Amino acid sequence: MNSSHLNPSSSLKSRFTTRFLRALTRINARKPISPSSPREIFQRYRRIKVAADKSMASSVRSRRTWSRATLWKLRSRSCLQLASLGRRRSVKTSTITSRQAIMKKTSHEIENKTTTEEDHQDRFVGQADKLRELVPGGEAMDLCNLLDETAHYIKCLTTQVQLMRKIVDFYSL
Amino acid sequence: MFPSLHSLGSCTYNGMDLTVLEKQQARLKWLQQQQQQQNYVVQNNAHVELCTSSVPQFQGLLGSSLCGGQLVELKMPEVYLGSDDFHKFVNFSVAGPEFGVSKMDLVMPEAAADYSISRTSGCQMTAFQTAVIKEEGEDVVLEKMESTTGRESFNKRKAKAVADYKCKDKKIKEVEAESEVKTKCSAEVSRNSSKEKSKASEVQKPDYIHVRARRGQATDSHSLAERARREKISKKMKCLQDLVPGCNKITGKAGMLDEIINYVQSLQRQVEFLSTKLAALNPSVEFNVDNLHVKEFPAYVANFPAAAKSPAMANLACLQLNPLQKEAVNCILDATMHPPGTATEGIASASMLIPEQALGSSCVTQLQPFSTWNTDPQCLYNVYNMGFH
Repeated sequence: MNSSHLNPSSSLKSRFTTRFLRALTRINARKPISPSSPREIFQRYRRIKVAADKSMASSVRSRRTWSRATLWKLRSRSCLQLASLGRRRSVKTSTITSRQAIMKKTSHEIENKTTTEEDHQDRFVGQADKLRELVPGGEAMDLCNLLDETAHYIKCLTTQVQLMRKIVDFYSL
Repeated sequence: MFPSLHSLGSCTYNGMDLTVLEKQQARLKWLQQQQQQQNYVVQNNAHVELCTSSVPQFQGLLGSSLCGGQLVELKMPEVYLGSDDFHKFVNFSVAGPEFGVSKMDLVMPEAAADYSISRTSGCQMTAFQTAVIKEEGEDVVLEKMESTTGRESFNKRKAKAVADYKCKDKKIKEVEAESEVKTKCSAEVSRNSSKEKSKASEVQKPDYIHVRARRGQATDSHSLAERARREKISKKMKCLQDLVPGCNKITGKAGMLDEIINYVQSLQRQVEFLSTKLAALNPSVEFNVDNLHVKEFPAYVANFPAAAKSPAMANLACLQLNPLQKEAVNCILDATMHPPGTATEGIASASMLIPEQALGSSCVTQLQPFSTWNTDPQCLYNVYNMGFH
């Protein structure tokens, strides 16, 4: 699973861990007040999730389409946030709702297709589109590359989950 | 004579790998029969004189190796290829006193059938009389061909002959109908010819991706490229099958994709779940990178219990969440663990719902009855509404 066994300090795991822990310390340092309210917890959750994705993508750098897409998305989102601090939440929700609308539209299109085209092939196409939604940056890829990206994405996700679980276990002892 | 041929025929051959010796024996015997017939016919047909003259030559050839190239100047093939000649042969032989009509008819089909059985194994032969006769003549042709031009073309011609023989019911056509071989059925015959064709087409085309065309598959460049692409995709699906646990029994692309999608969704959910847990941990804990060396995680914990204790103690104190926090965390966790139909959206909405809801002081009392959360979105939506109205 690691990218290079020869130099352990530069393996994917270690890179991800260092970055993620750094981000965690930063997040914790930002809010010195104990987060008793769930809202605070929720905000921290979002930040931690973003930090996890970001550190994962940065560990992979730009070698993979999905990492590039994730980084670009996060950066654009942070730019949006900086640009409109006051209307941050509304922008977020609007983007989320618009994305939901787009997804609903595409699912409707797919459903319309099932009536006309062959079932199996169409189901396959529908699933491929679903996979494209899941994997960041998958919209613009053909099936071959999409499968490649999915394989690497799965690898990185499993690494992420393992490490985060270890961290949680370690600190909740 | 016939019993021997029968025995030959009863041997099962895979493909056309008859031993040379057996072939020679079969041919010798058959030719002896033929000679008797043709000697009679010779008297009546000018063309056939060539035949008799060539027959001893041919026998001599058989005695020698198959690859002897002595009979080069043959115009035999053309002679035998015509259907008219065969009719003549038949007529003459039928009219002859030495061979009774029925006997002749019996003899020739049987001989030819047996011979062809022995030569092309696995083919189911139904003897057509006129076609049989043609076959006999063509066999002579074929043998000459083999001697002169080698095995491959011999197989081709034999393929042609047998296919024609089999597939045209009592119609005698020109042997050059090679396209018939492609389109009509046949056991090994058409396979061999199509294989050769595909090989030829592969060699001729400047194709950089070397794909072997298999039996019954088209050989133009488009379908080859398509097939290469499909094989790449199936290879990648196999790699994914190794990555995703529990996928070994599933065959088929659609089911595999389903599994992959589910697995990716579950991994993403797990990330969210773990980040929630991390968020619930008190921020005063120092996340020191030095303390956490990636590879020594379990070793560190095992070897330094004292060091682990102090942060652990601090954690325990910090982890005493008030009930509100606990409920919020539990809700988020439940939402992540048992996701509704639309996974990530549901979680996002659920995780957004609960903290918002928990803000209100009145919600504290409402939370407790809902300690066992239903995880369907309807319920959560209702709770959300309740929290705000």
